[in-house]
Amino acid sequence: MVDISSSESLLSEDTKINGTVGNCFADDAKMSMRNVNVFYGDKQAINNISLDLARNQVTALIGPSGCGKSTFLRCMNRMNDTISICRVEGEFKLDDEDIYTKKMDPVLLRARVGMVFQKPNPFPKSIYENVAYGPKIHGLASNKAELDEIVITSLQKAGLFNEVKDRLDESGTSLSGGQQQRLCIARSIAVSPEVILMDEPASALDPIATAVIEELIDELKEKYTIAIVTHSMQQAARISQTTAYFHMGQLVEMGSTSQIFTNPTHKLTENYITGRFG
Amino acid sequence: MNSSTLIFVILLLALFSYWFAIQRAIKIAGGITKVKHLTSLPKQFGLLTAFWCGIPSLIILLVWGIFESSVIDSFLISSLAGPVDNLSSDQLSLYLNDIKVMAEQPIMQISNDPEQQSLSQAVNYLVTLQSNAAWLKSALILLISVTSVSYILSRFTPEYQSRVKMEGIVGGVLWACSGIALLTTVGIILSVLFESIQFFSAVPPWEFLFGTEWSPQIAMRSDQVAGSGAFGAVPLFVGTLLITAIAMFLAVPVGLMIAIYLSQYASAKLRGIAKPMLEILAGVPTVVYGFFAALTVAPLIRDFGGWLGLSVASESALAAGLVMGIMIIPFVSSLSDDAISAVPDSLKEGSLGLGATPSETIKKVLLPAAIPGIVGAILLALSRAIGETMIVVMAAGMAANLTANPLESVTTVTVQIVTLLTGDQEFDSPKTLAAFALGLMLFVTTLILNIIALKVVRKYREQYD
Amino acid sequence: MTNQTGPQMNKKNPITDIVAASLGKRHRKELRFKLLGRLAVALGFLLVLVLIADITFKALPAFHQHWVKLEISYQQDWLSIEGSNRELLDGANYRKALKRSLYQMFPQVKARKDKRKLFKIISSNAEFTIKDYLLASPNYLGQKTAVWVRFDDDVDTYLKDVETPGEANARVDQKSAQWVKALADKELIEKRFNVSFFTNGDSREPELAGVKGALTGTILTMLVTLALSFPLGVAAALYLEEFAPRNRWTDIIEVNINNLAAVPSIIFGLLGLAVIINMFGLPRSAPLVGGIVLTLMTLPTIIIASRASIKAVPPSIREAAMGIGASKMQTTFSHVLPMAMPGIMTGTIIGLAQALGETAPLLMIGMVAFIVDVPTSISDASTVLPVQIFLWADSPERAFLAKTSAAILVLLGFLLVMNTTAALLRKKFEK
Repeated sequence: MVDISSSESLLSEDTKINGTVGNCFADDAKMSMRNVNVFYGDKQAINNISLDLARNQVTALIGPSGCGKSTFLRCMNRMNDTISICRVEGEFKLDDEDIYTKKMDPVLLRARVGMVFQKPNPFPKSIYENVAYGPKIHGLASNKAELDEIVITSLQKAGLFNEVKDRLDESGTSLSGGQQQRLCIARSIAVSPEVILMDEPASALDPIATAVIEELIDELKEKYTIAIVTHSMQQAARISQTTAYFHMGQLVEMGSTSQIFTNPTHKLTENYITGRFG
Repeated sequence: MNSSTLIFVILLLALFSYWFAIQRAIKIAGGITKVKHLTSLPKQFGLLTAFWCGIPSLIILLVWGIFESSVIDSFLISSLAGPVDNLSSDQLSLYLNDIKVMAEQPIMQISNDPEQQSLSQAVNYLVTLQSNAAWLKSALILLISVTSVSYILSRFTPEYQSRVKMEGIVGGVLWACSGIALLTTVGIILSVLFESIQFFSAVPPWEFLFGTEWSPQIAMRSDQVAGSGAFGAVPLFVGTLLITAIAMFLAVPVGLMIAIYLSQYASAKLRGIAKPMLEILAGVPTVVYGFFAALTVAPLIRDFGGWLGLSVASESALAAGLVMGIMIIPFVSSLSDDAISAVPDSLKEGSLGLGATPSETIKKVLLPAAIPGIVGAILLALSRAIGETMIVVMAAGMAANLTANPLESVTTVTVQIVTLLTGDQEFDSPKTLAAFALGLMLFVTTLILNIIALKVVRKYREQYD
Repeated sequence: MTNQTGPQMNKKNPITDIVAASLGKRHRKELRFKLLGRLAVALGFLLVLVLIADITFKALPAFHQHWVKLEISYQQDWLSIEGSNRELLDGANYRKALKRSLYQMFPQVKARKDKRKLFKIISSNAEFTIKDYLLASPNYLGQKTAVWVRFDDDVDTYLKDVETPGEANARVDQKSAQWVKALADKELIEKRFNVSFFTNGDSREPELAGVKGALTGTILTMLVTLALSFPLGVAAALYLEEFAPRNRWTDIIEVNINNLAAVPSIIFGLLGLAVIINMFGLPRSAPLVGGIVLTLMTLPTIIIASRASIKAVPPSIREAAMGIGASKMQTTFSHVLPMAMPGIMTGTIIGLAQALGETAPLLMIGMVAFIVDVPTSISDASTVLPVQIFLWADSPERAFLAKTSAAILVLLGFLLVMNTTAALLRKKFEK
């Protein structure tokens, strides 16, 4: 946690944020955000951030609590629409389509940009129904066989099928924490999204379950573009190709993960990854 | 002295003994400056003594009040041995009542009629008994107060643990108060059960439960132990169910939709005015709803039915049921609101994050997740509707029609309880007892519904806690 | 850069079209669902509005009534007295004087049948009005003077209907209507605020019936309820929350309280009838018994609210007090209870408001009797406001319709005051 008094000294002359350091644009961007400002009522949560999500890569958003990384993530599939006092400014593009126009339906957007949450949140339905939920509401399967097919492949992709294949009728909440989170990933894969946003997906899990999830994320990037918010720098280092460091609503530094973790440019980034605060 | 004067005197005595005990405690300590040597504060000595003064005498007063009339009655009856030997118990109670009424009147004419004479003798005896009892009561209670105060005062020493003893008494009083709720339940069960057993010894239970003809008035008039099937309660059960069903038919969808809209869609401002609106609906006394049903809704429905060419009874089940539904709406909506709000936000976000519309989220995730809570709410509302009295007394009929047509007049269990028990009647006629048998049915039904509902709701709460 | 064309750039996600195709239908469904919700909320508002408006509209006529100015001759022969001492005036035949005076005002009315009808247009209470008038100023004896008296309720209702035309009144025939019109033409009719509605007890005559008896009965009953339920409820809540060991006994009491809160109120009436009246022999119809029954009924509400309020007192308060050597009992009474008091009071007011509107259990214990006198003690036979409403609603006279609605407004006014107090109390201490 950062509180103002302790970060004051860390924010001395050389640690002032004057725009983003490093390369925040990608050659092959799946999503690109420009000049994003987000307000909760009068309070500004995101201050002029621009960045790209590179196609079929894992982009990690790191930073101390309250730095705005989760807010930013939620803006990318308009989940913040549900909060009435939240106001979003700036440009969000998914494959060159602006996602904050009237033309873009948030329902369609969220089908294309899926989300996995911090706490595993399987619906109190059977495992099968959990995965089938998205395809059903969107009408992706025209018959039972197709639906079965989608459910099975999604579970397979999420690496959960072998563990649950004999008990698809059991409640999703009866699974262990790690299994529940993989079920949520399967649920979101079942809609065949293009981008998956993950909000600290492993923070509520034990190390073994975390390892399984990390492995899964690494596999998933073959087919999906992934943005992951994480508190764990080791995790970011292990699974991401690009890392963005957020600080107090601003994007301080962005670049390839290896560069950020071995040779950070900005003083604040260095302070954070060397564990001087955060 | 009558009871209220006595209570007043006891309280005065308690106040006095409080003051007296404080003085005594100070004296025992050896003066006001040495009070700190006592193990308890003088005030605690005072309170302890006041309790000793008041509590035993108040208990005796209560017990006396409970048993006085029956003891006096038995004395009176034994004195009356001659003239009452061949009276039935009903006649005897009437006779006793006559005596009591006469004893209340200051002037008595004495005629030479032997029957009158024995009556006036009895009256005199009763007056004597009553005044003796009053004296005895006052004397006994004052004696008890004074004795217990002097007993406790005699035990005072500087080491006396007044505080501990006093707190023990307070704890006991608190414990006794917490038992009152239990006592109420026991009282309800015993009173309803006892009268019902009497009723069922006159009318076979299966006849009551499965008989289709209900006409208690006839049974009473001919003074027969009803064997003619006049106490078949099925029409009442059907009538109750019909009206309850109409009420639920209105209240459940409307209440649920209000809960959904207010918790999921409405702005804080709308919620701010809609909640008080629901509170008004919930706070309106049922007698007002009854008036509304009988004088506004029922004529409206009748006229509307007439306009459509239907014949609608002026006390139609529909009018009573609809208004009862209005009464239940806030009940359903506030309990459902609780149930829906208890579903974690993460489920809602999970669904929205997959691209579900808000209504799909509500219908496919929130409601299924909240269903136990909603079922609990509906069960509680159901029990409320079944037990509701005033609306049906004022707007539903008296005639026990066995019908499922909402445009006809039906009667309900509660209406019959009120009809059977209002007005003058002897207490143990089958007609009166039937009311208690109906009360038993009502109590058991609502109790079962409540227990299930509370269990379901509690289980559901644990699921998300 | 964003406009760079990658190898997969144009490979469109296959689900986009499927989802997009379904969107129109799904959004229409969404709108329909939202509309249903709006309708339900609107229905709620509409119902409140209709209920209040209906009753207020019906109640309005009850707040005023029509009086007529009669020329009364206090002639001794009409009063059937000789002399003028107080006792004589007290026992005089005012009815005769009233009749004669009235007939004098309508000399054209000759037939006995018509005369009887004429006398019926004024209230049966009018003879007492003119009596009181004379007793107040005895020097009018033998004089002629103008006295205002009430109309009969049928005429009163008729006059009110004339103001709001459209409803014919079958109970006032053409002749009576003519007489009333004649009085009106001479400007002898006046509309006054109906004071007697608040100062009279019940009556068979609608123009005389008032709510004072029922109101007094309600207040007495509520006082008994408050005096019993508040200490009992608080004591029980304190025991359960602060002292009770967690065991089976406490569990039973707890489940029992929750169930008792949902027992139909009429069952409490049965308990009152069977135990309090028939077993303990307390008087029927008395506020004392009503208060006891309502106490048993509201106790669960008060206990539940008080427990919640006591539970909300932070444990640190208890620890602080016990830490400086206060006993458990002292801590409870001098620290926990005062802090929980606002919540307890809110709960008590809400419980009492429930009891205030309760009718069914009071019917069971005989508070339905027709009682004219205003009760003066808790053991007098009396009725309460909700029961008065029930009784009046059952009366055939049309004038009682307005009376009933007006009594409902009085009751709702009481409830509003109590609930607002509770809400303010809660708001004040919630901070």
